[in-house]
Amino acid sequence: MSEFSLYLLQQLINGLTIGSTYALIAIGYTMVYGIIGMINFAHGEIYMIGSYVTFIVIAGLMGMGIASLPIILIIALVVAIFISSTYGWTVERVAYRPLRGTNRLIPLISAIGMSIFLQNFVVLSQGSRDVALPPQITGGWNFGDPSLFEVSLSYMQVLIFAVTFISMTLLTLFISRSRMGRACRACSEDLGMTNLLGIDTNKIIALTFIVGAALAAIAGLLLGLYYGVVNPFVGFIAGLKAFTAAVLGGIGSIPGAMLGGLILGVTEAMTAAFFPSEYKDVVSFGLLVTILLFRPSGLLGKPEVEKV
Amino acid sequence: MNQFRKTLLSLSTAVCIMGLTAAAQAETLKIGLAGPSTGPVAQYGDMQKIGVMAAIDDINKAGGINGMMLEGVVYDDACDPKQAVAVANKIVNDGITQVVGHLCSSSTEPATDIYDEEGILMITAASTSPSITEKGYKTIFRTIGLDSLQGSMAAEYILNNAKPKRIAVIHDKQQYGEGLATSVRDLLAEKGVKAAMFEGVTPGDKDFSALIAKLKKENVDFVYYGGYHPELGLILRQSAEKGFNAQFMGPEGVVNSDLAKIAGKASEGVLATAPKSFDQNPINETRVAAIKAKGEDPTGPFVFTAYAAVEVMTDAMTATKSTDAEVLSDYIREHDFDTAIGKVKYDEKGDLTESTFLVYRLHQDGSKTPAE
Repeated sequence: MSEFSLYLLQQLINGLTIGSTYALIAIGYTMVYGIIGMINFAHGEIYMIGSYVTFIVIAGLMGMGIASLPIILIIALVVAIFISSTYGWTVERVAYRPLRGTNRLIPLISAIGMSIFLQNFVVLSQGSRDVALPPQITGGWNFGDPSLFEVSLSYMQVLIFAVTFISMTLLTLFISRSRMGRACRACSEDLGMTNLLGIDTNKIIALTFIVGAALAAIAGLLLGLYYGVVNPFVGFIAGLKAFTAAVLGGIGSIPGAMLGGLILGVTEAMTAAFFPSEYKDVVSFGLLVTILLFRPSGLLGKPEVEKV
Repeated sequence: MNQFRKTLLSLSTAVCIMGLTAAAQAETLKIGLAGPSTGPVAQYGDMQKIGVMAAIDDINKAGGINGMMLEGVVYDDACDPKQAVAVANKIVNDGITQVVGHLCSSSTEPATDIYDEEGILMITAASTSPSITEKGYKTIFRTIGLDSLQGSMAAEYILNNAKPKRIAVIHDKQQYGEGLATSVRDLLAEKGVKAAMFEGVTPGDKDFSALIAKLKKENVDFVYYGGYHPELGLILRQSAEKGFNAQFMGPEGVVNSDLAKIAGKASEGVLATAPKSFDQNPINETRVAAIKAKGEDPTGPFVFTAYAAVEVMTDAMTATKSTDAEVLSDYIREHDFDTAIGKVKYDEKGDLTESTFLVYRLHQDGSKTPAE
């Protein structure tokens, strides 16, 4: 392979890695929108909390003398999912449920309030400085001709792909095969009708927030390990990017969120590859505007039909 | 009766006067201490505070200034230009006439306008942006060298010592980082060394893999980074993971033990221009011991520049027996001072006549040694 194609391959790997985590966070936005038609602006903060919990659990377990990395990671994952889901459920209970049925703008504002609250809550309890974790999973494969360009694929990147792929598959199976998943799809089609048919829609909506938060916690764990640094403000940027991914793919559509995340990640990497990297955000958001101009409902979104 | 009244009157007057003098003795001379005590760069604020408080303790132990005890009052600007203006106004309202601070150049700049206008003596121990002293202020000084000096020092080191084959200059698009990066790039270009890349990154970004792949493709073997430690730490960490092993160099904004915490082993051997390690200077032995005895860290780059800022202020106050900023400023411009950072002499603008920087090599345990 030539130097150029090796370089392109490297940037593609970089883009897909970051894109997969955007996709994981984006699903939380898209599921909530799909069912209750609202944007959960506190979702980025849930991701940030997931990262913090991971760091605390890993540091705690290592302090207790547990040396086996897989055990530490599994415990961290379980604890992060549990705590983040609790926060996700609480956000729904506190900031959404009491306001359901009101003007759409009101829960939006309360969600932004929730987001600011959670951010400052973490600042006060954990401090506003960067918290760092030493690299846990190191090494990787190098291939390509070292005299031209050596492509590196780290174990961490492989882990990110693998975990993202597994979570996405499980989610798809859950939505398409399980009873609860069927109820979710029914709610997404017509909330009022589903309620009339005897399904507890409150439960389903709470479940949506919990599932979204669990995926955000997985992303928090993966990105926390990958970058090794977390601060109370990471949720804002990550949330913004994931929200963009969800809109790009068609908000409300789960495959759309996955696709949108990957497209956004790859676009960022490719822009940084061939233009000065400060244009990265200009190009990705330019792309978003262009796609919305031609397909206002996003790539895989269904156009909203006014119900009569 | 009349006699008695007179006595009573004089007695009460005497009591009053005694009360007044007692009050005057109890009153302290306040020194404002402006910098971040919260936010992402709060460590630098801590360094400044350690230095100022140590200086104040030493001076008070030696009997204070003109019979008055000193007291440090901490103001938090979080390194945010808007909060810096609010802090400056608060200092004016609190009637404080001497300020050590601010810390980040971008906060110092808006605050200087207020201090100069209100006749407050301000000495910054950390802000290195040249534009701060370029507006012809009278009461603004520093105890640290300029950015531009750091840039030329870095460029000189790159040309004479590092001699890289291909160099990239990266910055964080902010006043401090981009300013330094531009000056390094231009100085190198003057000597015929053209940077292979000159690019900005977004502060707060976490993923630099695309940038690193590009550096790798360009076969860069030396990277100058203009910015602060959180981004450089991640760039170093991700470079090591991707097998990109260039020599990195940064300004004093990256000299922070958090760099080693973020980057771990990857931070070993990074070059940086930083204020000289005054804590290793034998003249500061007792001061270092006193700071350590309080359980604080004397090694930060701004500890002794802050210490020296207090010394310059108080020396001028002792000599002039005044706290008037104009009088003090005139005195400071015309005299030399013996301080914790060595001999200090000012030019007309209020800048030091000699650079206080040196090129250091940083280590993974957070320490630093002078670069060869």
